[in-house]
Amino acid sequence: MESKYEFEKKYREQILKCSRCGFCQAVCPVYGATLRPALNARGKMLLLKEVMDGKIELNDELIETLFQCTTCANCFQNCPSGVEVPEIIKVVRKDMVKVGSCHPTFEGMNEVLKKHTNIYAEDEPEDFERERNKQAEHVYFIGCVGSYREDEATMATLDLLDRLEVNYTLIDEVCCSGVLEDVGYQINENLAKINIDLILKTGAKTVITGCPYCSRTFNNKSQYARIKEKGIKTIHITQFLQDFDFNVKTDKRVTYHDPCDLGRHCGIYEEPRNTIRKIAPNFVEMPDNRENALCCGAGGGVRGGYAKNSIAMARRRLEQAEEVGAEIVLTECNSCTHNLANAKLRKQKFKIYNTTEFINELMEEAE
Amino acid sequence: MNEKIKLALVEIVGEENYTDSLIDMVSFSYDASEHSHRPTCAVWAETADQVSEILKLSNREKIPVIPRGAGTGLSGMAVPIEGGIILDLTRMNSIVKIRIEDRLAIVQPGVVYIDLEKALSPFGFFFPPDPASGKVSTLGGNVASNAGGLKGAKYGTTRDYVLGLQVVLPDGRIMKTGSKAMKSVSGYDLTRLFVGSEGTLGVVTEITLKINPKPTATSTALATFDSLENAGGAINQIMHSGIIPSALEILGRETLAAINQNTDLNLPEVDAMLLAETDGYTREETDYQIEKVIQNFKENNAKEVKQAKTDKEVEDLWAARKSAYAVLARIKTHFVLEDVTVPMTNIAKLLKGVEEISKRHDIQIATFGHAGDGNLHPQILYDGYDPEQVRRMEEASADIFKLAIDLDGTLTGEHGIGLAKAPYMTLEHDPVAMDVMRHIKKMFDPNNILNPGKMGLEAAPGIG
Repeated sequence: MESKYEFEKKYREQILKCSRCGFCQAVCPVYGATLRPALNARGKMLLLKEVMDGKIELNDELIETLFQCTTCANCFQNCPSGVEVPEIIKVVRKDMVKVGSCHPTFEGMNEVLKKHTNIYAEDEPEDFERERNKQAEHVYFIGCVGSYREDEATMATLDLLDRLEVNYTLIDEVCCSGVLEDVGYQINENLAKINIDLILKTGAKTVITGCPYCSRTFNNKSQYARIKEKGIKTIHITQFLQDFDFNVKTDKRVTYHDPCDLGRHCGIYEEPRNTIRKIAPNFVEMPDNRENALCCGAGGGVRGGYAKNSIAMARRRLEQAEEVGAEIVLTECNSCTHNLANAKLRKQKFKIYNTTEFINELMEEAE
Repeated sequence: MNEKIKLALVEIVGEENYTDSLIDMVSFSYDASEHSHRPTCAVWAETADQVSEILKLSNREKIPVIPRGAGTGLSGMAVPIEGGIILDLTRMNSIVKIRIEDRLAIVQPGVVYIDLEKALSPFGFFFPPDPASGKVSTLGGNVASNAGGLKGAKYGTTRDYVLGLQVVLPDGRIMKTGSKAMKSVSGYDLTRLFVGSEGTLGVVTEITLKINPKPTATSTALATFDSLENAGGAINQIMHSGIIPSALEILGRETLAAINQNTDLNLPEVDAMLLAETDGYTREETDYQIEKVIQNFKENNAKEVKQAKTDKEVEDLWAARKSAYAVLARIKTHFVLEDVTVPMTNIAKLLKGVEEISKRHDIQIATFGHAGDGNLHPQILYDGYDPEQVRRMEEASADIFKLAIDLDGTLTGEHGIGLAKAPYMTLEHDPVAMDVMRHIKKMFDPNNILNPGKMGLEAAPGIG
């Protein structure tokens, strides 16, 4: 009999291959923050196994764990059986929405994106004092967090692009809506169309995104395939900046936090480090870095749905920055910057920046 | 859980440390074995006093209590087979004290093995047992199961390092065993009784561990053999040679083939591969030892012998060995990982016997393990949704246990009895020994509330 659930049709074999060894517990950020095994990847796979065995149903009781995964993929990275937990979670969340068991926050997010252009339902976009929708070589696509929550970082990034004389334009961008795919819904096709049309109008050959997640969405999701088909490349700003020389240096002790969306999901580890080493000879790694990096706790909708645990995850990451005596914590994702900054304790004296913002500050000081 | 007991538990641990929600009950039903059963509720304890209050309550109300660490056990030890209260100890996770001068560390049971390793490393010390699940498993779980690991050949198992314990007994009394001194013959060795007791006698709330200085140099070599007899011969000769390798691992043909199918390591598909590591404080010292080992390999008709020369080569070799469990886990939907252990002279016979059992029951069994201490891991691979395969798996398991006992061995070297091997206890232990064990259990836990259903202790006539 064919299963009524998509997750089972697609991932039955994989879920059964979870050998329950529990190795994911060593790296799952939600488990690390809560020490509650039901929230670990193994706990989630066991629930799905029991659903497949007909012992329990997908229902509201499962929301707390199935919607509490940052999709950071550290479990997959360390799984001896190769179980692709984040992908399974994304599909089962869609099944949950279908049976009417969705987390209210994400139901709200989906509704917001039907009426508004961004996840925060802010109707007055920041114009960043720049003309939009120009003809240009590059489109700089900011993303929701950069537009509405980390706008200072974004302003600094744009100043940096100007200093480097990059020929770019902003567009009247709307949420890429990729996040909806992670929390049980689908990309909003209307929003996708607005973004694509605006990008095509500029005649640009490259879209540079400030947000690694937007970059993944443009590159991987069928709703955005038109961008690639038109010969336009989408890259994250860290990939764009690696060929520049900045001619500034700091002697501060700098560390780097790998965003999951850039690192484990795209394998981009060296580009940001190459750039940072140019400006910060006193670079130091945190104990867990690259493919082993701890998650900041913001992804997969967890910051919206489970703020307290999300902050607890960010705190664990910042403890590592403290441990290596960093004075500056750099990252390449506005969402990470935002969550880490929110979690920083007063006693922690380091500063947290987007790499672009930090470079711009150094260049400003040098002038 | 009935409302009165629930309220009493909440009173002890606080609302946030009590749960009976479905998601927790499902996840607490399992460990890393094939067994499962739902508990009634779970609590997270944070102090020995809380543990004491929980046990007093359960003892009075006759409710099972199942102490739990990381749940990485492979024998069903932490599965609440009769329901009851899961007592999760992972939040008692402080390293209380490291006393390098006294060569000891005092820890709470919820400390993860690797966290102690990280804390000791700056001092150049380590806690040697090195279980494969050390990134996740808790020291309390290591003590309860007397965990071993790759370095057992030279360094032994958890038991060899536990100097003393704080234990809460089923009636709620708190007891201290052992000593902070390096040696002690003061009274019965209660510490050793509790190590490996699988949470059936008391709940460990503090552990005093002996720690070792960590050797700084190692040498690694491998050899392949066309026959199990030759590999066995090499193991015997190494044991004679006076060298004690820090690891001496064996990989059988099925395991080598599986690794090759899933990686690009290109291992030779021979009857057996042996992998040896020697450790010490200088390369001269470890090389001297490994040369002796290599000589023993050669004298036993090794087909290929190789010493790893670079860090990369060493890393690749251990990666191959450590990948065994994972690549085998991917082959079928289900597997059982056994840990039968025999005197080293019988390793080759055990390997050969397992191969025959595999053929006889027409079921895939891949074997690897710790040749240096006689501990093998036959991994039986099967489809758990096919009753016929389940039956063949069970028959093969039983035959492996019989074989190990016939070879002067034991059912379990490092995973414990739990539920998986409970039916076979009487195969290994004579009626007198079983009787003594049952009396010990009865004395500590007359109401049988602590981890009931484990270790085959309940089938006793006359003791109930």
